[in-house]
Amino acid sequence: MMHPAEIEFMAENEIIQIVPTFNHASHVHLICGSYGPFRAGLPLNVPIWVALNLRQKKTCRILAPEWMAVDKLQERLEEEKASKFFTQLPTNFYLEITQMLLTVASEDIPQGNDIKTAVKDLWDLRIAKLRSSVDLFIKEGRVQASLNHLTPMEINSVRPIFPDTLDALMTLHEHINSSDDREDSSQSSVATPSSTSFSLSL
Amino acid sequence: MDIDVRELIDEEDDDNQEEMTAQKVLQNVERAWLNEKFSPEILPHQTDYVDCLLEQIKGMEGNLAKLSKTDPKVDLHKLELERIKFIITSYLRTRLKKIESFCVSVLEEEATRSEEDAYLSPAEFKFAKEFALNADNHFDTILRHMPQLYNKLDRNKKIIEPNLNSFVFLKCNKHIDSVIIKNTLEGQEEEIVLEDGSQHLMPYNSVAEFVKKGSVQLI
Repeated sequence: MMHPAEIEFMAENEIIQIVPTFNHASHVHLICGSYGPFRAGLPLNVPIWVALNLRQKKTCRILAPEWMAVDKLQERLEEEKASKFFTQLPTNFYLEITQMLLTVASEDIPQGNDIKTAVKDLWDLRIAKLRSSVDLFIKEGRVQASLNHLTPMEINSVRPIFPDTLDALMTLHEHINSSDDREDSSQSSVATPSSTSFSLSL
Repeated sequence: MDIDVRELIDEEDDDNQEEMTAQKVLQNVERAWLNEKFSPEILPHQTDYVDCLLEQIKGMEGNLAKLSKTDPKVDLHKLELERIKFIITSYLRTRLKKIESFCVSVLEEEATRSEEDAYLSPAEFKFAKEFALNADNHFDTILRHMPQLYNKLDRNKKIIEPNLNSFVFLKCNKHIDSVIIKNTLEGQEEEIVLEDGSQHLMPYNSVAEFVKKGSVQLI
């Protein structure tokens, strides 16, 4: 099981741009990679967790990623509406990144409220799509599904209930099948009368 | 005093036969963490990588103690160490939970494996054996007071096995020609191709070997 906070934790490893307000000539050699040099006013790439830490200490300004512009998000939204499948997004963590950046650095990002609404619309649209495909999947009684471009947070929104439901369905079926087998080989002494006529409508 | 952490990392690399960067080791542990979280059964241990990271953390903490507190990078290094420690502890905790839940079956399976392809690390193996022993002692103490008919616990009553057919979400790291999926609903088998980078939902059993080989990542 994954907690949403743990997915946010993974999202914090994504790279974004910041503009530091301090100078630090040498690179910072982190285990996850080297970042720097930090020069006041010059943008550089860092992981989000670094950006948030520096921003909270007010030693940098965060530059919103390119995809996080209202018109770009609207384009994505239209594309998502037009497509039958899930479209590929510029990042696997659009919801989390938007949420984190707007919480910590709302002053750095223009049109924050519009961005929030657009991202929420995108999420709602994709979740609605996900729910209807889950419904179809169960009704058709399939055992494999392609889920390309679905993001971790979206997958987590149907977990654990969806995989657990499938597990339970499979277990039920195995029991039904095994009692059918007994019926066929005429060793039905333990099978209850109802189990023969019982079948799941899938 | 300024310490070049890169130097420390390079030194580590020289000691490591596979010449892996610390970054690579971290990524491996992160992947192992997610796989362990989502797999129903316990996976082969990654003690080499975990120990390597722990060494890194220890070295880094030593170096940080020598740096002045006003250095802007101290905070970042400390924060990163906390993040890595979180992953390692979460990974180890997930494994311990599985060992506790499936203790008897984990030990039985482990007995069939040679030392090289053991799934449990030596420390985990010791823990599992002690846990099993303690559970047995506990049951014996209680069952002594039960009527004779009920005071025995056979293996089948003790054993809890993971459901290997449970459904998992996964992402392919490379093209896999053939994956066989058993369809319990229709009593037949399906064969599918997994393309590089594609994401799927299917029973864990079908991809278990690929998860262990690293060509499939659970998500």
